[in-house]
Amino acid sequence: MSNYKVSVRYSSSLLDTAIEKNNLDEISKDIELMESVLKENPKLKLMLKSPIVKPQLKFSIFEEIFRTRVNPDTLNFIKFVIDKNRESLLYDIIREFLRLRDEYLNIVNVEISTAYEFTNEQKNLLRNKFEKYLDKKVRLSFKLDKEIIGGFLAKLGDTIYDASIKRQLELLRKQFLKGSLILN
Amino acid sequence: MAEVRPDEISAILRRQLSGFENEVDIYDVGTVLQVGDGIARVYGLSKVMASELVEFPNNVFGLVLNLEEDSVGCVLFGESTLVKEGDTVKRTKRVASMPVGEEMLGRVINPLGIPVDGKGSINTSKFLPIERKALGVIQRQPVKEPLQTGIKAIDAMIPIGRGQRELIIGDRQTGKTAVAIDTIINQKYTHSEEAKSLSIKPVYCIYIAIGQKSSTVAQVVAKLQEHGAMDYTTVIAATASEPAPLQFIAPYAGASLGEYFRDNGKHALVVYDDLSKQAAAYRELSLLLRRPPGREAYPGDVFYLHSRLLERASKLSEELGGGSLTALPIIETQQGDVSAYIPTNVISITDGQIYLESNLFNAGVRPALNIGISVSRVGGNAQIKAMKKVAGTLRVDLAQYRELEAFAKFGSDLDKATQKTLSKGARLVELLKQDQYSPVLVERQVVMIYLGTNGYLDSIPLYDVKRFEKEVLEYFEVKYNQVFETIKKEKQLSDQIISEIQKAANEFLRIFKKST
Repeated sequence: MSNYKVSVRYSSSLLDTAIEKNNLDEISKDIELMESVLKENPKLKLMLKSPIVKPQLKFSIFEEIFRTRVNPDTLNFIKFVIDKNRESLLYDIIREFLRLRDEYLNIVNVEISTAYEFTNEQKNLLRNKFEKYLDKKVRLSFKLDKEIIGGFLAKLGDTIYDASIKRQLELLRKQFLKGSLILN
Repeated sequence: MAEVRPDEISAILRRQLSGFENEVDIYDVGTVLQVGDGIARVYGLSKVMASELVEFPNNVFGLVLNLEEDSVGCVLFGESTLVKEGDTVKRTKRVASMPVGEEMLGRVINPLGIPVDGKGSINTSKFLPIERKALGVIQRQPVKEPLQTGIKAIDAMIPIGRGQRELIIGDRQTGKTAVAIDTIINQKYTHSEEAKSLSIKPVYCIYIAIGQKSSTVAQVVAKLQEHGAMDYTTVIAATASEPAPLQFIAPYAGASLGEYFRDNGKHALVVYDDLSKQAAAYRELSLLLRRPPGREAYPGDVFYLHSRLLERASKLSEELGGGSLTALPIIETQQGDVSAYIPTNVISITDGQIYLESNLFNAGVRPALNIGISVSRVGGNAQIKAMKKVAGTLRVDLAQYRELEAFAKFGSDLDKATQKTLSKGARLVELLKQDQYSPVLVERQVVMIYLGTNGYLDSIPLYDVKRFEKEVLEYFEVKYNQVFETIKKEKQLSDQIISEIQKAANEFLRIFKKST
């Protein structure tokens, strides 16, 4: 429960300093890199959470992996988190940072599921539509899902914009049942 | 059966399709994190409202009760086995509501408004949320019309007014439900032409069965049908086999239906049978939702649970149509313990209580009312003047009788006055006994209680009191019907009527044959 609160505090402090120092682009690239590294290496995540591994060791591992690749400020932040004994929440902090950064930059993530791969032209069209509709910059990610038969399904946080054939058929079915006498 | 031509089908299909629009459907979703014991924890649904209905797969609905930092706690109105971890939950964007309307009368429904009596769908056009705020001070007026229960002891000494909340409390098997059912049956009179001419407004009844056996509910429905009371009654059944969330919302759903009548200037009577089971259902939910338990493991807001429900009973001001919603909550005590948590709560909320006792019941006093501790705090204003006049001395007479009764048990020699009080009291107790499903009209009650308190029964042997009552009322009906008519119309006892009653009673006493 309180994990969430903790990670918001750390990540917003990182965001604020980055904005102050005017190196948000760099930092967010670093954090994105870390996120993907952590996501792809569960062992690394496990190590962070392990109480047996000494904090000093944890930091030196991170230093070794990232020293050449990231900004010293980012590395400092990692050290700060580890010093504060919150390294177990590092992954949450990183994800929260990305969310807060998107909010700051007025970007929304939209997950699009389609039954067939969209062409680039279609993708651009969809992006433009969404940007106009939401009045925000949109970052699209695509996913294939044969189940929806056709059309597309956009997920924006908890809200779904459902223009799939599957849903249309469902609604049509309900509509027919409403008119029939057999229902009830 | 005639053959259905294909063009007919396609015409219907086309008509239905014409209303169908191909649009992007927008909805909010969440994911089930954990499910079991009738509750689900949902991740997501970030914009959901408290007490909103949410839709799970397989047509299971849920009610949002807990909004937490990273999850939402819902109770399920269906089988929790139909919901799996990882399922998608959809918002419906409406709070739990209940279809209301006159069409509900005569039906048996579940707390969501779905009929369970197999008589087809109910076509109502209106929905009301099940949780509504009770009316404020401005919209109300004091209780002033009587709600006749048809039970002599209650109408005389514990009168109930329209818009009142009167608790029926007692151990199991003391006839709590019987009192409520008799009251519902007695409302039949208010729907008659005669009542209309006397400007008595009809009372619509709602009986809510919470956590009872399905067989008991079926019996109640059959009895109501037998006495023609189902025409103006809705039964809301949340039987013991229904999940706890349905039992928890049942009284609120019933109150909403009652409020529909009230807000349309009509009168409604709602029986909550019983609230101790509802409190138990709510306790179950609260503990599963990990709310901290308090006294008797009930959650901290169990008082509010009942107070917000019973506060919805009201008598509307004339500007709002003057409708009313009368509530008869029922509470079952354990071994007569009224100081348990739920009974004390509900006693303090309601405007009085009817206390039923098992030892009275076993002694053959039925309804087993304990007059001494039963009260009605507001109903007195609603009593008709005639009844007020005759019942004034009844309470005192019975109190004196009870006081002396203990002495009489020692068998010591008693003086004349004491013996007289005792024999009168015994006859009054006998007079107030009444069979189930046989409510008595108010004018008859007035005459009988007048005869009882004025010593006309003193010469009748105790075992003949019941027969005397029956026969004297028949005698009045045949020869002195104008007495009943006048009491009904004028609602008070003029000296002229009193002398007429006396005359008739004396006549009858001369011809009454005591059984040997």
